[in-house]
Amino acid sequence: MSAHGTGTPTPGSTVGSPPAASSLPQTGRRSASPPTPIGRPGPAAAGVEGPGRGSPGHGRPGGPGHGRPGTTVAAAALVALLLLPFLPLVLTSLSRGYFHPQILPETWSLRAWRLVLAPGAGTWVALRDSLMVAAGVTLVSLVVAVPAGRVLGTRAFRGRRVVEVVVLLPVLVPGIAVAIGLHVTFLRLGLAGTLPGVVLVHLVPATPYVVLLSAGVFANADLGLEDQARTLGANRRQVAWSVTRPLVAPGLAVAALFGFLVSWGQYATTLVVGGGRVVTLPILLFASAAGGDTAVTAATALVHALPAVGLLVVTARILGRDVPTLGGAR
Amino acid sequence: MVAAPDPRDWPAVLAAADGTTVDLHMWGGSTEINTFVDEVYGPALAELGVRLNRVPVADTADAVNTVLGELEAGRTDPGSGAIDLIWLNGENFATMRQADALLATGWAEHLPNAALVDWDDPAVAFDAGRPVAFTTSPWGSAQFQFVADTARTPAQELPRSYAELSVWIRERPGRFTYPAPPAFHGTRFLTQWFHELDGDSDAWVEEFDEDRYTEVAGELFALLEELAPALWRGGVTYPNEIADLDRLFANGEVDLTFTQLPAGIGANIDAGVLPATARPFVFDTGTIGDHHYLAIPLNAADAAAAMVFADLVLDPALQAAKLDPVNGWGDGIAISPDRLDAGQRAAIDAVTAGLGDEAVPPAELEAVRTSNPLAELTIRLEADWDRRIRQGRGG
Amino acid sequence: MSAPLLVQQARRWSRDDTVRTWAGLAPALAVVGVLFGGAVWSALSRSLGVGAIGTAGPSLAAYRRLFADPEFWPSVALTAHVAVTSTLLSVVLGVGAALLLRRVRVGRQSLTTLFQFNLPIPHVIGAVAILLLLGQSGFVSRLTTSVGWTAAPADFPALLYDPYAVGVIVQYVWKEVPFVGIVALAILRAAGDDLEVAAATLGASAWQRFRFVTLPVLLPGVLSTAIIVFAFAFGTFEVPLLLGASYPAVLPVLVHQRYTDVDLASRPEAMALAVVVTAIVVVVVLVGVALARRAVRRAGA
Repeated sequence: MSAHGTGTPTPGSTVGSPPAASSLPQTGRRSASPPTPIGRPGPAAAGVEGPGRGSPGHGRPGGPGHGRPGTTVAAAALVALLLLPFLPLVLTSLSRGYFHPQILPETWSLRAWRLVLAPGAGTWVALRDSLMVAAGVTLVSLVVAVPAGRVLGTRAFRGRRVVEVVVLLPVLVPGIAVAIGLHVTFLRLGLAGTLPGVVLVHLVPATPYVVLLSAGVFANADLGLEDQARTLGANRRQVAWSVTRPLVAPGLAVAALFGFLVSWGQYATTLVVGGGRVVTLPILLFASAAGGDTAVTAATALVHALPAVGLLVVTARILGRDVPTLGGAR
Repeated sequence: MVAAPDPRDWPAVLAAADGTTVDLHMWGGSTEINTFVDEVYGPALAELGVRLNRVPVADTADAVNTVLGELEAGRTDPGSGAIDLIWLNGENFATMRQADALLATGWAEHLPNAALVDWDDPAVAFDAGRPVAFTTSPWGSAQFQFVADTARTPAQELPRSYAELSVWIRERPGRFTYPAPPAFHGTRFLTQWFHELDGDSDAWVEEFDEDRYTEVAGELFALLEELAPALWRGGVTYPNEIADLDRLFANGEVDLTFTQLPAGIGANIDAGVLPATARPFVFDTGTIGDHHYLAIPLNAADAAAAMVFADLVLDPALQAAKLDPVNGWGDGIAISPDRLDAGQRAAIDAVTAGLGDEAVPPAELEAVRTSNPLAELTIRLEADWDRRIRQGRGG
Repeated sequence: MSAPLLVQQARRWSRDDTVRTWAGLAPALAVVGVLFGGAVWSALSRSLGVGAIGTAGPSLAAYRRLFADPEFWPSVALTAHVAVTSTLLSVVLGVGAALLLRRVRVGRQSLTTLFQFNLPIPHVIGAVAILLLLGQSGFVSRLTTSVGWTAAPADFPALLYDPYAVGVIVQYVWKEVPFVGIVALAILRAAGDDLEVAAATLGASAWQRFRFVTLPVLLPGVLSTAIIVFAFAFGTFEVPLLLGASYPAVLPVLVHQRYTDVDLASRPEAMALAVVVTAIVVVVVLVGVALARRAVRRAGA
């Protein structure tokens, strides 16, 4: 279906615009590398794949690419519905005394934004701490997860099923349960209430995602090229830099973005392990929501949302390809 | 590790505090209060070489819990804790006191500005029925008030007692609710009702009478159960926090909300949180007034900086600034006007005189003020409310 | 080289291979084992009263108190209801959205981009947004008032803080439909449409094409996605805290309440609850995976 869009594929566009760089690995070892619990190529693998196979249905009636005008309208309505919650958020942040039954604010005001963005406001500290924690989580999770991803994506071995489930479990167990389990130990070690402590607890949900995503990346990369390069006399470093890196870099960038976003959205784990001392944006936002100033809460929420959305867009641009794997970022 | 600083040697405390950071954990739900703390106290502290790190918490109990957790994990040495100062009173104070989690060197008595505090006033010297014993230092004072919208509800229709409120609720089904205890305002609302049914609020400041509690609470909860269907949402659910009640009130979903600010709701109106026509009022049968305090945990890392902050907030000029809603807060003073010089007193009187009808006149507040009862009473009320009202299990 | 030498060499290679396999897995398994395993172990031992100061040997007292708590079972029921309903709605609507989007011709790329917009949005933000949108005095209620369908906030349906957690479910579905949809789109794109075209040529109806061609392709990926959605709807704490009713609380909220209770005696109960929640999720996921595998086989994928 990928070729059916009438628009020209552009960098940063979504499903259906493969970059030249990653159209190679299409024939990969998909069937041998199931990183999902069901044992077949799941979202992780599918998402970072190259373009769809041939699309002979183009222009033919009855093919799935055949669109009626009504379809666009319906899809636009769906998208509008999904975006609708942002509207009151934006309106509220720009208002003062915005009460029922006002649809648009009677009094427009930048008051909330001024408070939230004031030089001494807690927003900046929260933004800094959120960024530092998320960057730390991204870095550490890449280091520990990519080797495992390569193994899971390319090797068949005994105990593989068990490893898959073990790796997946932390992402499924409620964060609050993990957090209180770690809290007392972290208190003893002096990690509670510190940025490193929060990074560590975020690693629990982040690592599995990065493992699974990078497994998909390696599964779909044509690593046979490594052997060819070796045969042609390239040394290990040359192979890693000139062959492996270009093959997997875009996919791993997506995996890294994923790790970042998992950390970016953590509330319960930060609340418990941070003990109120590490104030990331979700913590700040929740404290604000417990207060009465809806305009400030809305502005804080938008400050929290923008970097995540921005990063998504920027990554899409840099990769020059679709980023459908972002599904599940939270 | 480090001996706690002794405020009797104040220059030594200042010297110890210089270059350190005070980690102040406080309820962070009000942007105005947060801004006031950051912009008024922050620079004043900086002049003394102390950096202010205000940590907003959604619930003060979270901060109390952090300290208790640290102590449980064996981090009891002075200097090993994450929190230097907590803004608290009532049950949270009682909890900290019971767990011996407070710095109890009598430090609050010897702060330079403690001379301006009337420690002989039981309203200052007792918190939740317990002697403060200089383990916490007062920051401000507050009193429970109701808020109605004059554009919706004429003054003569407002209830002036809980007895009238019960009638009022029945006449206006769905137009009233209160925050779910143990949310601060919810517990206050409940305690005052208990007081009115009991008839003697002073009786509960010193002693908990089990038989009397059973009788009065039985009556109170039977009444609450009976009224529940006439509450907002039929009493099936309750707002979590005062902020949720404020939002319901401002949007016209309910007709009353509450405030604790003696200098009135001017700041909330300016912020657009409450409608311009909202006005506070009190019940003739009494509303609870109390002080709120700053507490230093036993294991605070920067106790000297915490003391410098606790002393700073008692400065007469800063107390007057905090009282003035123009600066965003409108909190009551913690110092005694009798102990101020003429100029300092005039500054406070000027603020009070300019409050207008967005505040209840100080004399009227004082006339109906009752004491905050023993924590035992409020804790029991919260537990019984949770069982009988929230979970809907009968007595 | 003689034959035995070759065999030896092969053995060594395979041993090297095993070493390499586990060496690669080691860091990730260490993180999972130490942090996650440590957390579960700590919660388990503390729930049994081991490790806390001044307690006698292991005891099931915390579990007994937990199961005797009248809020426990209603909380389990509500949490299960929220998780199952959110998952079903997200999967059905998400797949529907994917099937719709791939048929769009005009502006598909921009629509698909916008479709993904709320994927990176944290749940707390979603909860605040839903609050402002669907509260009885929220944005939608204001619209219905302006067209005369409702006169006052109370006339608008009570979607938030309600006993059926409608607001909570709406938030999850809002967040997860794009997740499921994007995963489904990616799978469909990877699979191409040759089979569907062939089926259409052979005279298969739209339903037949979906049931016998599209669905089997989608099923494995969508089912793994469903498991993740379920786990999130089961375990997220901030959304029910902001949008849920006072009673009953969902399990993660209950865990937090017990853990932060000023009465430290509640902590073993919090730990016991954490263990129970973990056990429920693990069992549901394992059973879910097994069922999903069977469903995949049946669907002929």
